[in-house]
Amino acid sequence: MDLALQLLFTGIGIGAVYALVALGFVLIFRATNVVNFAQGEFSMVAAYLMVVAVEAGLPYWAAFIVALLGMALLGVVFNLGVYYPLRHRTYLPVIIATIGASILLANSVLAIYGPQPQVLEGWFETPGIQVGPVYLDSQYLLIICVTICLVIFNFWFFEKTLLGKKLQATSQDKEMASLLGISVSTMIMITFIYSAVLGGLAGILVAPVLFVSIQMGSTIALKAFAATIIGGFGDVAGAIIGGLALGVIETFGAAYISVPYKDGFAFLVLVAFLIFRPQGIFGERVAEKA
Amino acid sequence: MRLTRRDFAAGIAAGIAAPYIIKSANAQGATIKIGMCAPVTGPAAESGGYAIKGAKLALEAVNKAGGILGKQGELIVEDDQTTNPGIVLAFSKLASQPDIVGFLGSIRSTQVHAMAPDVIKLGKPVMIGGTDPKLTHMDNQWLFRFRPNDSYSGRVIAEFGVNTLGKKKWAVLHSTDAFGTAGGNALTGALEKLGCTTFDQGYANQSQDFTPVVLAIKQSGAEILGSYFTFENDLGIFARQLRQLGVNIPWVGSPSIVNITALKLAGPALYNTYGVADYAEDSSEGSKAFGKIYRDAVKVAPDNQSSWTFDAINVLSAAINKAGSTEPAKIREAILAIKKFPGAEGEYNFDQNGDGLHGYNIVKNEKGKIVFDKHIEFND
Amino acid sequence: MSAPSDNMPIPAPAVRSKPLVIRHLPYFIGAAILVALAANMRFDGYVHNILLQATTFSIAVFGLSVVLGLCGQINLAQAAFFGLGAYAVGIGTTDLHVSFWLCLVGGCLISLLAGAFLGMSTLRLGGHYLAMVTISFQQIVTLVMINAIWLTHGPDGVSNIKRPDLFQTSQSYLAFCVAMLAIVGYLVWHLSDTKLGRAMRAVRDNELAAGVNGIDVFRTKIYAFALCALLGGLAGGLFAGGFAYVSPDQFSFAESIVFLTMSLLGGVASPIGSAIGTGLLILIPEWLRFLKSVPGLYLAIYGLFVILIIRFMPDGIWGFVADAFTRWRAKLAAPPVAGALQLKPAMTGGDTVLEVTGLSKYFGGLKAVDGVDIAVKRGGVHALIGPNGSGKTTTLNVLSGLYQATSGRIVLDGTDITDMPPHQRTASGLGRTFQNIRLFRSMTALENVEIGAERPGNTMVGKGDDALTERAMEALTFVGLGSRANELISSFSYGHQRLIEIARALASNPTLLLLDEPAAGLNSTEKLELHELLKRIAAQGLTILIIDHDMTLVSEAAQHITVLNFGRRIADGESMAVLRHPDVVSAYLGSE
Repeated sequence: MDLALQLLFTGIGIGAVYALVALGFVLIFRATNVVNFAQGEFSMVAAYLMVVAVEAGLPYWAAFIVALLGMALLGVVFNLGVYYPLRHRTYLPVIIATIGASILLANSVLAIYGPQPQVLEGWFETPGIQVGPVYLDSQYLLIICVTICLVIFNFWFFEKTLLGKKLQATSQDKEMASLLGISVSTMIMITFIYSAVLGGLAGILVAPVLFVSIQMGSTIALKAFAATIIGGFGDVAGAIIGGLALGVIETFGAAYISVPYKDGFAFLVLVAFLIFRPQGIFGERVAEKA
Repeated sequence: MRLTRRDFAAGIAAGIAAPYIIKSANAQGATIKIGMCAPVTGPAAESGGYAIKGAKLALEAVNKAGGILGKQGELIVEDDQTTNPGIVLAFSKLASQPDIVGFLGSIRSTQVHAMAPDVIKLGKPVMIGGTDPKLTHMDNQWLFRFRPNDSYSGRVIAEFGVNTLGKKKWAVLHSTDAFGTAGGNALTGALEKLGCTTFDQGYANQSQDFTPVVLAIKQSGAEILGSYFTFENDLGIFARQLRQLGVNIPWVGSPSIVNITALKLAGPALYNTYGVADYAEDSSEGSKAFGKIYRDAVKVAPDNQSSWTFDAINVLSAAINKAGSTEPAKIREAILAIKKFPGAEGEYNFDQNGDGLHGYNIVKNEKGKIVFDKHIEFND
Repeated sequence: MSAPSDNMPIPAPAVRSKPLVIRHLPYFIGAAILVALAANMRFDGYVHNILLQATTFSIAVFGLSVVLGLCGQINLAQAAFFGLGAYAVGIGTTDLHVSFWLCLVGGCLISLLAGAFLGMSTLRLGGHYLAMVTISFQQIVTLVMINAIWLTHGPDGVSNIKRPDLFQTSQSYLAFCVAMLAIVGYLVWHLSDTKLGRAMRAVRDNELAAGVNGIDVFRTKIYAFALCALLGGLAGGLFAGGFAYVSPDQFSFAESIVFLTMSLLGGVASPIGSAIGTGLLILIPEWLRFLKSVPGLYLAIYGLFVILIIRFMPDGIWGFVADAFTRWRAKLAAPPVAGALQLKPAMTGGDTVLEVTGLSKYFGGLKAVDGVDIAVKRGGVHALIGPNGSGKTTTLNVLSGLYQATSGRIVLDGTDITDMPPHQRTASGLGRTFQNIRLFRSMTALENVEIGAERPGNTMVGKGDDALTERAMEALTFVGLGSRANELISSFSYGHQRLIEIARALASNPTLLLLDEPAAGLNSTEKLELHELLKRIAAQGLTILIIDHDMTLVSEAAQHITVLNFGRRIADGESMAVLRHPDVVSAYLGSE
């Protein structure tokens, strides 16, 4: 039982990381109908920006703001350089372009910063607290809290604010949205900025736990992608639930079935979902368009 | 961007043509050439850089001391991209230059496996750092190893843990890649011979979380941990989680546990652990000497990535000079005849398989500083 | 999920005149010369390795040109299929001591089955899901290769892989691989001209239109996917024999991306492009080694190039070259003269060709079509009209099977087609056109119409490609576009594209022709021509069900009219009487 509780905590912690990255996937997918394969690299780039800013002597909070501003800028550049020129083409060229972008980002960072993994200190001085039989890592606690806050924020933002509603309208029907006087390209730009910042946030939060390395983004992104499908593509709540579920399944699978095949569980669950419930937990339509 | 498709096509054409023009400008000199496959790009690019520096430092010294057969030695480096197909291509590119007399292969066993068929075909001596014991036991007479193989690291870890630390109940944790699996097997085998009980646990590289592994070790009731980690970030995450979840048993690890990057990442979580190291700066005069040269030139603490290539160049040059010829068979005989050769890694005594070293150093992490503890040598 | 068309021009095939073998003789001569060169030229080891790698990789990339280029589906696991073939040969020839040939065939079969299974489980879903499933498959295969040490030797890999006795020397083995490359290249090149190849291209260009033209979209995708996997397996088997060593990291996700990039760089649509792309991507890293001093710089440039190629050279290098060539050649090749089109609609049922009873289609709470009855009599023109949003197009989509009916029954010429998927309805004799034209945009007019003529159960076309071409030419000539048969769709005006769409339906010799707003977007001259065309079609005894706003066209052409409003039938009967019906008048006047 103690064992299971400890595993549950870690599973949720890791799952929250997946969920944060998955959220970025979902937002871009809803707005553009395109899966952004470079989403993981957003996290990686943000973590490196943070390391650079901290090393430059900025206080932690200032470095955090600088890193997120950098991500917003990256979102703009990404949209203009990768998505926007291809927006009238099918999903295939766009997917491939995002794959190209992910290779470009990862290796540019490698070229600039070198291959050594870096250390980024956590937010808190204390590494964690012991609650009964369970050890709670402070950084994971923070990640879980941020995830909860983001769920609430997203709900408020998309349901209660005018900008959020405009974004929603755009993601549901671009033609209708433009008839209503919403600038579709502005909305898509905002979505890319928001996704880049979200991905960056995930990277900065997870960096103290997983260290900062070139590969950190791609490993998380693949899992987050799986989480997105499990949750139901295009559903914000689904991405969160899918991420958490995946983290827990993976951790328990590793503990009770096999450690070396740990990464396989995520994909087995994913394939099972695709075969038996392709619409995901939350039943997003698998659209037929006439 | 006001780039048209035509501009782009023209750009590509120019880009493709350029390297040819650059390449044809290469000239030839009267030197003795040594080829080296090293990871200049890819995940091991960092250690590849150290390896090249080690080799270059050795060659500089050799050249100052009169060179090889009276000529200057020249190092030709090819990028193996840290992949198996990459090293096959890199090696075949070097092999196609007939004036290269000897080669430095990889520190990664799988890469040596990948290039091994081509090595037999070429029939010239190749110095390697890969520690899979099989490499020098598969009828390939052209591979010469400059690091102690994993059967020794396993035996040394077992020997030290059982006889020095007095622990008999072991947990063995290893990566499921080639290096980790071979190492784990060697350690488990050695422990069984010493009459110990072992709990064996593998993990996949680039895991983000080790909680299940730590809990399994905790539950196994092991008194001591032996580990084979491949990547430093895995080691760092594991070390932290191990301490957080309250496991404080002694820990003896494979060389990666004393690697600079691992020390930086894991910090205090690795204090008081032991590691086996083929290179330990204080283990011998040769090690100290190399350490000084390397620190002066590179401004980084020396480690095994650079020490084995340093030794490989020294031994190869000495062997060629002794053989008085660049004929492969004569170089081979000369290398196998090398005994009591003081190198950075230790004392080289080549056996008929091509293994130069037969023991390891035990080092201890004392508050982040690596301290030489003892050297354990085997004679078989 | 439908994949809208993305213009990827393909070289148009020349119109068949001489036998295939003679026309393609230059290819075989060229291939024979290459094989002879590979067998006899002296290479050093490095060049040999590069050539062997390029040859085997090219075969795997051919697979991608089928699945991605011809069929428009993504596969991010080609390295896994490649690996399956490689390990089959590796493990088979070393541990199991089976002959190389048996292992090669076995590896191909394993890949084929894996590809077919993967396809069957996901190809009903759209591209993103396929992308994800193939990535998952790739990851699982890699994990098994690493961890199933008892079978695969784990990360150590398999070494000392045997070659066939016949090709023991590396030189002869290379020649053998080049020969295989030439054969596979020929088959893949020729594939796009076969029935299956045309079906794949149709699916890629427009899934909906492919479905209503009698193509089983799902099965076509599976064939493409399985074929791709098969070629991956074959290539892997040859690779393993060539390099004598395989290990898991050679078949990782990163390698799949490399395969994909090779395919894109050269041009996804043709094997020549694949070969160019593969060659370049193997050579470029070798040429660009001067960039190696900074780790990552080379791959960063590589990533940048992927983006730039997609942006500026969507058809790859070969597509870029071939595009110009095709346009030039299409103008030269004069299409053959065709005879008159014969329409002989089947007549198995009774007097009523189409009997629709109580048809309803609800979208959630919205009753788009609610209990509609339509009876279309054999011969003549029947019109279905109604104001905007009255449910006309929904009715048509339910009739052609794009939507499933919520309730009701549809009987076509005595056959109940209510539950059939679109392609089976087409096979049963239903032809249709779309309001917003859905042609296969990468093909010529002739090829578009050929796909229509290929309808299963078309009794008006004989065996063989020539008969098919003849039928298609007849149909094109019938609508007045016979002389422009070899032009690409993009060079036709809107009105002419509509005519091609009608020709495509006519070539299939349907029992009933559904026309969805054929006059939309036409100018008055074109409308007159359309009217004439409809008369000529009706004169041959083919029944037409037409939907249109254009009252002049409808009142002149149709003998019988059914009127819908708010999803219900409000009038039905002889044209003049219906148009004077007070409900109809108020429905139209009220809405306008």
